[in-house]
Amino acid sequence: MTDPAPETGPRGTGPFDPPGVEWTHVSPRLVTARLLSTGITLAVPAVGVIVLLVLFPHWWQWLVLGVLALLGLWAAVLVPRQVRAIGYAERDDDLLIRQGIMFRTLVVVPYGRMQYVDVQAGPLARKLRIATVQLHTASASTDATIDGLEPAEAERLRDRLASRGEARLAGL
Amino acid sequence: MNDAPATEDLVWHRVHPVTPLVRGWTVIAVLLVVVGQQTLNGLPEGENLLEGDRWWMILLGILAVGLVGLGYSALAWRMTSYAVDDESVHLRTGVLFRQQRRARLDRLQAVDVVQPLLARFFGLAELKLEVAGGADSGVKLGFLKEAEANRLRNDLLARAAGLRVGRERPAGAPGAPGAPGAPGVADAPVAAPGGAVPAATSAPPPLAPEAPEQPVTAVGPGRLVASLLRSGATVGLVLGVLAIAGVVVGTREIGVLFSALPAVLGFGGYLFSRFTGEFGFRSAISPDGIRLRHGLLETRSQTIPPGRVQAVRLRQGPFWRGPDWWRVDVNVAGYGLSTDGGTDTKSVLLPVGTRDEALAALWLVLPDLGTPDPRALLDEGLSGLDAGEHFVVSPRRARLLDPLSWRRNGFTVTDRALVLRGGRVFRSLVVVPHERTQSLGLEQGPLQRRFDVATFAVHSTPGPIAPKAAHLDSADAARLLDTQAARAREARAHAGPELWMRRDDVPLGERA
Repeated sequence: MTDPAPETGPRGTGPFDPPGVEWTHVSPRLVTARLLSTGITLAVPAVGVIVLLVLFPHWWQWLVLGVLALLGLWAAVLVPRQVRAIGYAERDDDLLIRQGIMFRTLVVVPYGRMQYVDVQAGPLARKLRIATVQLHTASASTDATIDGLEPAEAERLRDRLASRGEARLAGL
Repeated sequence: MNDAPATEDLVWHRVHPVTPLVRGWTVIAVLLVVVGQQTLNGLPEGENLLEGDRWWMILLGILAVGLVGLGYSALAWRMTSYAVDDESVHLRTGVLFRQQRRARLDRLQAVDVVQPLLARFFGLAELKLEVAGGADSGVKLGFLKEAEANRLRNDLLARAAGLRVGRERPAGAPGAPGAPGAPGVADAPVAAPGGAVPAATSAPPPLAPEAPEQPVTAVGPGRLVASLLRSGATVGLVLGVLAIAGVVVGTREIGVLFSALPAVLGFGGYLFSRFTGEFGFRSAISPDGIRLRHGLLETRSQTIPPGRVQAVRLRQGPFWRGPDWWRVDVNVAGYGLSTDGGTDTKSVLLPVGTRDEALAALWLVLPDLGTPDPRALLDEGLSGLDAGEHFVVSPRRARLLDPLSWRRNGFTVTDRALVLRGGRVFRSLVVVPHERTQSLGLEQGPLQRRFDVATFAVHSTPGPIAPKAAHLDSADAARLLDTQAARAREARAHAGPELWMRRDDVPLGERA
């Protein structure tokens, strides 16, 4: 993000808010991206059902449409909050990544443990000017992904992580 | 298509010429099995596949396919060569798609000498060098003469360890003549047990006739069979057989037998592969790491250099509680998860053993647990309940989330390692050395949030162990996450790979 705004924690309590950590948030355009992809996923079956509804009307088709609409509504409420909950912080020796509202996770990745860094952006993400940075360690269970970064910030983070990783590189 | 760029002055070697035969015969075996199965299946319908003139056609077909397979294997053999220099092992393979692989010796995670059944008849062995890449990242040199494989392994381990202390040792190329190490005997590069440091710094001889390893544990066949009889698979097998017998007797339909048999045979197959894989298990410690040997049909001799074990787990199922037996698994970066999805015999440090033997296995990995009274701490970790002298456990409010094992879930921290315990029915104790921590994680679901608890996880390299302490008090978990990150950093800064050759300075101590 161009102006990393330190959080003043709305839910800033408990184990997911280590003291003295200033969280950086991701771009709000991630909300658009996620809502769009959810919308497309929901729209495809919806269109199918509507076609069926026109050709062979039956009551269960309304039920399916209703469920799809509810899911869409649910996503519309949830996604902005989820995106706001994503945060990362660069400390001297490790990177912290926090995610989730209902199922919350916090990952601490030491720079010296980093094997490689991925920067990815799909067509939709490129259109919205956001990118994903993913950190890989020797462990497959490390899930250190930061979604929805400004491209410049993603590049800065990638280079910074790579250089810090090199400085602190250790064996396995 | 052409040869890879000739890497200057490397001496390239071929693997043993019998290799195509050892590799190619499986094609014929598979065909024979298929034909046999088809014949047996056809018999009840009165169709004999091998009737009349057909049998020799089938035989001819098998022969032709076998010859083609053999021809391809021979071609593959011609195109396979390897070379060793001071820093890496080079391997060139591939008939159509040429591949040249170079594995750095200082990234070596483990070295295995594997002998499949047929290779044993020819006295051949395959050398597997594991590096911490993804799947299929290691280097397989096979097949070699058994003595040659052992010699090469020792040489590679010496080079890998010697790099740490200086590389003033140009001699000892694999092709160079040298005193033949006693075959079969595990000859390590460094002679004189306990005197590895001076030996290593003053140009260790490439070959040592002596085996400086000290045996630690051996598992007899009786113990192994008893342990398998007391396993869940046996219970499944017995229950399955009883259920089938009951159904057959009840319905008087013999057909049930055939449809239900494969499921029961699955348990049997699992038990059989456990038995053959872990048969004759022996472990030992030597200057170049932990040595493990096991296998009935296919024998495997593993060497895991010091500091390569990422995590250790001691585990006990409900039926092992009586004799107080434990199984010890490890995470080693190169081994990963077993590819066949079944029994993973590579990542086993001890298939079954008493508590003392299991602790001795743990000691192989971590001679110094970094606590004044390791035995008391480990006893509490293995069979303790509730918070004791050492362990911090889940709060009482977690009992609704985890009614069985909330009294077991817990952790403790020593100077050298993080110790996590858990499981009431299947007890487990996981030890992760601080310097082997990859990353740390904290998770909390909605229910956990309600009870103000969180699950703490250490991310380790792929393997059977996923270290985790479930349902800790949120404040405890947060503190652990914070302090553990600092401890891991500290340990990493101080524990370098140069420890390898200093490892055996640690007194071997009592056999626990």
